[in-house]
Amino acid sequence: MEYLSSNKIAVIDLGSSEIAEEELDEGLVRENIGGAGINRYLYHKYESDDPLVIGSGLLTGTLVAGSALAVMTAKSPRTGSLCHAPITLTAGMELKFSGFDYLVIKGVSSKPVFLWLHDGIADIQDAGDLWGKDTWEATESVRKAVGDDLVQVLAIGPAGERGSGLAQVGNNYWASGDTWGFGKLLGRKKLKLIAVRGMGLLEIADPEGFIAQSQELLTEIKGGGWAGKAGIGDILAALGEEDGPSWLAPLIHRHKACFNTPYAANTFVFLDEDPKRMTEPETPEPGMLLTRFSDLLGFKQCGLSALESGRILKECARMGLDGTAVSSLCLKAGLKDLEGIRNFLPGADGPVDGQAAGPFSSFAPGKPLFADFGLAPDGSQDAAWWARRQAVAYLFGIHPLFILMAPELTEEKLLELANLGTGLEVTAETLDQAISEVVRG
Amino acid sequence: MIDYSFYQNLNRKILDGDEVTLSQWQGTGGQIPPGEDRPLIYPRIGIYSGKGCSHSWLWFVDLFERFGFYDLIFLDEAQVKDGQLETLECLALSGGDTIAIAEGLGTSGAGQIRQFLGQGGLYLGSCAGAYLPLHSSKEHLEAFNFVEAKITNLIKTIPISISLPEKSLSPYGCDYVYHPVRESVELTAAEEPALSGWGRFEAPLYGGPGMIPGRECRVLARYSGFTSKTLFLVDPDLARETLLNKAAILGHPFGQGSLLLFGPHAEHPYFPEANKLVTDLMAWELNRSGRRIEKDEPPWAGIFLSGAEIKSWLRGLKREISNSRIVANGLETLSIRWLIGNKIYEPIKIRFFLEALWGRLRTLEKEKTLLLFGEAEQTLPDRARRLTVLLRDLKHTLDDQGDTLPLAEKLFQDLQGLTRIFLTVYFRSRWSAAVLSLN
Repeated sequence: MEYLSSNKIAVIDLGSSEIAEEELDEGLVRENIGGAGINRYLYHKYESDDPLVIGSGLLTGTLVAGSALAVMTAKSPRTGSLCHAPITLTAGMELKFSGFDYLVIKGVSSKPVFLWLHDGIADIQDAGDLWGKDTWEATESVRKAVGDDLVQVLAIGPAGERGSGLAQVGNNYWASGDTWGFGKLLGRKKLKLIAVRGMGLLEIADPEGFIAQSQELLTEIKGGGWAGKAGIGDILAALGEEDGPSWLAPLIHRHKACFNTPYAANTFVFLDEDPKRMTEPETPEPGMLLTRFSDLLGFKQCGLSALESGRILKECARMGLDGTAVSSLCLKAGLKDLEGIRNFLPGADGPVDGQAAGPFSSFAPGKPLFADFGLAPDGSQDAAWWARRQAVAYLFGIHPLFILMAPELTEEKLLELANLGTGLEVTAETLDQAISEVVRG
Repeated sequence: MIDYSFYQNLNRKILDGDEVTLSQWQGTGGQIPPGEDRPLIYPRIGIYSGKGCSHSWLWFVDLFERFGFYDLIFLDEAQVKDGQLETLECLALSGGDTIAIAEGLGTSGAGQIRQFLGQGGLYLGSCAGAYLPLHSSKEHLEAFNFVEAKITNLIKTIPISISLPEKSLSPYGCDYVYHPVRESVELTAAEEPALSGWGRFEAPLYGGPGMIPGRECRVLARYSGFTSKTLFLVDPDLARETLLNKAAILGHPFGQGSLLLFGPHAEHPYFPEANKLVTDLMAWELNRSGRRIEKDEPPWAGIFLSGAEIKSWLRGLKREISNSRIVANGLETLSIRWLIGNKIYEPIKIRFFLEALWGRLRTLEKEKTLLLFGEAEQTLPDRARRLTVLLRDLKHTLDDQGDTLPLAEKLFQDLQGLTRIFLTVYFRSRWSAAVLSLN
């Protein structure tokens, strides 16, 4: 695969510590597009080794608006089905430029290890010193060890190490869209974290055409209904929590967008200091980045204040716990006070009600955001529409929330961009087939 | 646009024993006087990369490689003193700290250069490499009085800096060398057969001299103007007075050899026209001198790797160079620089070295054989590993707000050494491949 690709798949056997490399065959891309499509193919190829597959979308890391997404695929410890979790912020882009298109992580290590991926080199390294650390400490430690603060870290915390079904793979210090308990899978594999740094380059088959088309699309997108809105508060409001913005407002320090994504979907809140201060914080880390609307909504429904919710979510992030799942269990158990919920966290586990069906994470809400996609007013088309939109996002590498905000990101335009970028001539029929297969799980 | 493959093919023909003349290289047809249009040689070029050098010697490496000169030797001060110049037709010395270079080479190194020139060698000097052989009574420099010319940007009273004050001045004994401008300047070539048809061209000035020629000097190009990219570091009137119509490139005979001194970095990779002019002048002067060295040609003794062995060996090296460039890239986001000798070093200079290695690793991956001479098989990966450790130490010390100057000094020294060994492996392998493929 010559374009929009590093032309490399790494098959990492944690059991034997052997790493094999394969070229990314163009035929595989023609049939499965990328992202979740090829992840799914690789999962089935190595299924007997209970693999975790990580891959970037065909357009991840490019000039195409929203191209922030990479995808984790595995059998969910929570549902037992093949599922995909989104990797956003800048980790998806970093993976794309790391010299690997796809990683198949199979087998179980006999001792704690971590993966260090850089410039097309995959190193399995000892994680004896990292095991037992929370995600923040682990991220700090590995960044210090490799000497670069821009290294992206997908890590598990104590929850994953102890095998909780609520464990998630965090994204640096923050919560990710892993709603499947993949943290438990990493814990089982004794894989503490995956550190990625991407300093590679991508070749584009038709650079002029690709750039022009990307810019034209961005111009169209800029007039969308999301313009003028930002952060998790506005997402909550769009989902019917009208008081969401005012509830969160006193804590908001700033909003933060994922790589090349026009809508800033993440909100940084200050918990220990005044967010309005214009000087450097006095504490090392006075707040946290909220990356999932459902985490916040869950604890809001438990009756916590925004500040209390932030404090609990910070602890969840450090322990590597899925905040939404934790809030669901707390609600079910009738836990409504900060201390009660806090005491619940260290041993948190158990079946989660309302776990999303299908292969896509509930990281993205099940309906359009700030946009009219021409769906039936009674909501009867929402589920099928949502699954298809998510499939498109997970194939091409588009942010799974932003694809719900931008009707201009049509399947046709993304396919045209992919063809300009790769020089392949993937047809609409092939895309349709790939979407169907990914939706099927 | 310069068609480098044309010049690479000419060099290949020379290697193959075919006759390629000066006029073919210069493309000037009948401009070369009768009797001067002799067949070209494939020169062995030494590039000085020892004490006092900045990263700009890598620009000479890029230039020579693009034009198909693979017989390159990389010398530190000890090798110069040890008589290695005897094996060369040409010595290139680029930018850095002139006084530190002079100190490193010492009177012994100066003597070797004098002997090299006397026996027909060609000296290419840019920036610090141009200052070095100019007449001077300063300590260390007085041993290198090969060219009688005056420096127009030498001053006792410091001019007012209007931009980049840290880049506008360097101590030069009890005086100062001030740098009136940086970046691109316009030059006009002299009308003489060696430069027929050249006219005006651009090259970047990063601290090199303006010169007033003395006896025996040939002015080959003058500073004739500034460009939209010229950055004035002092008052523009003073800059004009200092540079315009002053010599930018000087030629000077010495014994049977000669020196070509470039105020601007005509070897800079972003200025291909100026690069071509360097090769034109080089070809002219080498032809004139007639110095011919008996060379040890391939196949050489050493460890030859092939196929999977190359991949495996390079992978180990690639791992460490990658680790190093990741740390170095992160350092560029920090506001730190180091004063080493008389030169300011910013973190980006670390990456200039690492990228010079990184880009060439891919070329080596495609080679059928790789020649590892001496202890390179072991020393290169070891040195690369130690460099990663050093860089990480430096980053940790910076994070802890410690003094990083001693680490930075060692780092740049180690980078020079690692790069020198790597490039020797690289060019020996490439030249070997080029020569052996002809047999």
